[in-house]
Amino acid sequence: MASLSLQNLNKIYDNNVQAVFDFNIDINDGEFIVLVGPSGCGKSTTLRMIAGLEDISSGRLIIDGEDVTQKPPKDRDIAMVFQNYALYGHMTIYENMAFSLTLRHEDPNVIHEKVLAAAEILGLTDQLNKKPKQLSGGQRQRVAMGRAIVRTPKVFLFDEPLSNLDAKLRGATRREILLLHKRLGATMIYVTHDQTEALTLADRIVCMSMGYVQQIGTPLELYDNPANLFVASFIGLPPMNFFDCKVEGDKLVGDGIEYSLKDEEKETLKDYAGKVITLGVRPENIVHGEGIKLSVISNENLGQTTLVHGTIGGHKATAKLREWANYKLGDEVSVAFERVHFFDKETTNVIR
Amino acid sequence: MTRDVKEIKKDRLLYTKNKLSANLSYLGILFGVLYFVNIYQSDVNNYYYTITIGLSVVYNLMFLLVTFLSSEGLKNYKISYAYAIIVVGILQIARIWGIPTMAHKATTIIDGVETMVMDDSQFRYCTVMLLLSAAACILAGVIGIYKSVTLNNYKKEKGLE
Repeated sequence: MASLSLQNLNKIYDNNVQAVFDFNIDINDGEFIVLVGPSGCGKSTTLRMIAGLEDISSGRLIIDGEDVTQKPPKDRDIAMVFQNYALYGHMTIYENMAFSLTLRHEDPNVIHEKVLAAAEILGLTDQLNKKPKQLSGGQRQRVAMGRAIVRTPKVFLFDEPLSNLDAKLRGATRREILLLHKRLGATMIYVTHDQTEALTLADRIVCMSMGYVQQIGTPLELYDNPANLFVASFIGLPPMNFFDCKVEGDKLVGDGIEYSLKDEEKETLKDYAGKVITLGVRPENIVHGEGIKLSVISNENLGQTTLVHGTIGGHKATAKLREWANYKLGDEVSVAFERVHFFDKETTNVIR
Repeated sequence: MTRDVKEIKKDRLLYTKNKLSANLSYLGILFGVLYFVNIYQSDVNNYYYTITIGLSVVYNLMFLLVTFLSSEGLKNYKISYAYAIIVVGILQIARIWGIPTMAHKATTIIDGVETMVMDDSQFRYCTVMLLLSAAACILAGVIGIYKSVTLNNYKKEKGLE
């Protein structure tokens, strides 16, 4: 286990394309950090820089107080789990898990005990004599994790490990990773583009876009207090609804929207009188009420809740109503906003 | 390690192949091949073109086949293959009294001069290669038997059979 410090990390490729800009974070010992963002946002590049698979163009990487920026991957004591498992097809599961330790010429008896212990943790004891092709995708990913565990590295890195699994298996393996983290208490850095994985696994989330860190915080912080429009739109499922509204006295007025500001909201928007801002509302914060009309386009029943897709004043909107409803195309539902977020139209930052 | 080392060594047999025996078998094949290609080294006219060399070629093919199959069996702790490769090893020793000894004692006329078919140094080389091949095969078999018996007893002890 180890603490990490990423200080002003930048990645500039030979063709002058910059993939990561000034990445800064201090990761505590035993923390589970999830890097989340859309494809091409620089999250995997950051992970590969930590692993030593990509050169760091500028900045410093400190692991347990030691500067490892220039150290080769083998000297960083980091284990990485890849999306495509990277198992050796001609070796048994036992041999795959033991391989890295065999290369380091460790005592075979010690290797054996470590492999059995890892297999026990991951429920692979009965599979040790099989070849990877005889296992399911989830089991193969567990083998890949086992191969990392046996090394007892300082830091575990996961590069979209669940992307190749079907939805059901993904959920199960996600829970296994969470249990594994609790059991090992290891420092883990996990890359995903799936915000559900980020919200369920992370102690802290790093939300990235276009190579920049947009926000670092706990899952609840990112969900409840997004720093900008990007984070607000990326975190949360279904995504947040956005409407352009003008601050007019005690109200926000937009197409089909008239929202009465609460006292603390008036205070927040005191510098925006007469200006247009972006109003953000999570679908779960839209409730039955008076004032705003939602014209229904489609209706999805999810059991205890119903997703109602429609328009408010010509803008697409989704509401997650706490009821079993069967609205039809063209129905009008009266709704109100329970909780809202304000964003500066120009900077896209949250207005606090 | 929390368990006894002996116990761990036995337990490892459940998950690892008997590569030592298999590799010794390959070594046996290598020395056998080195012997066989060497007997044609000297210019001995048509001394070798007899039924003896024909049988020797056939035997050599059989040796390669049986030893290679045995190496695969040994890898998986099959005790019958261990016995088979020990027999092959013994036959490798017996081969010393075949072509090498006969050729060492025989002479042939080359350019009007009576010449030994196999001189002393070639005879020594062939004998050593056959002995090394035999030793590798027998050792592979003995290790194979030991490991197979150990593994089978361990499985019985743990109720894995």
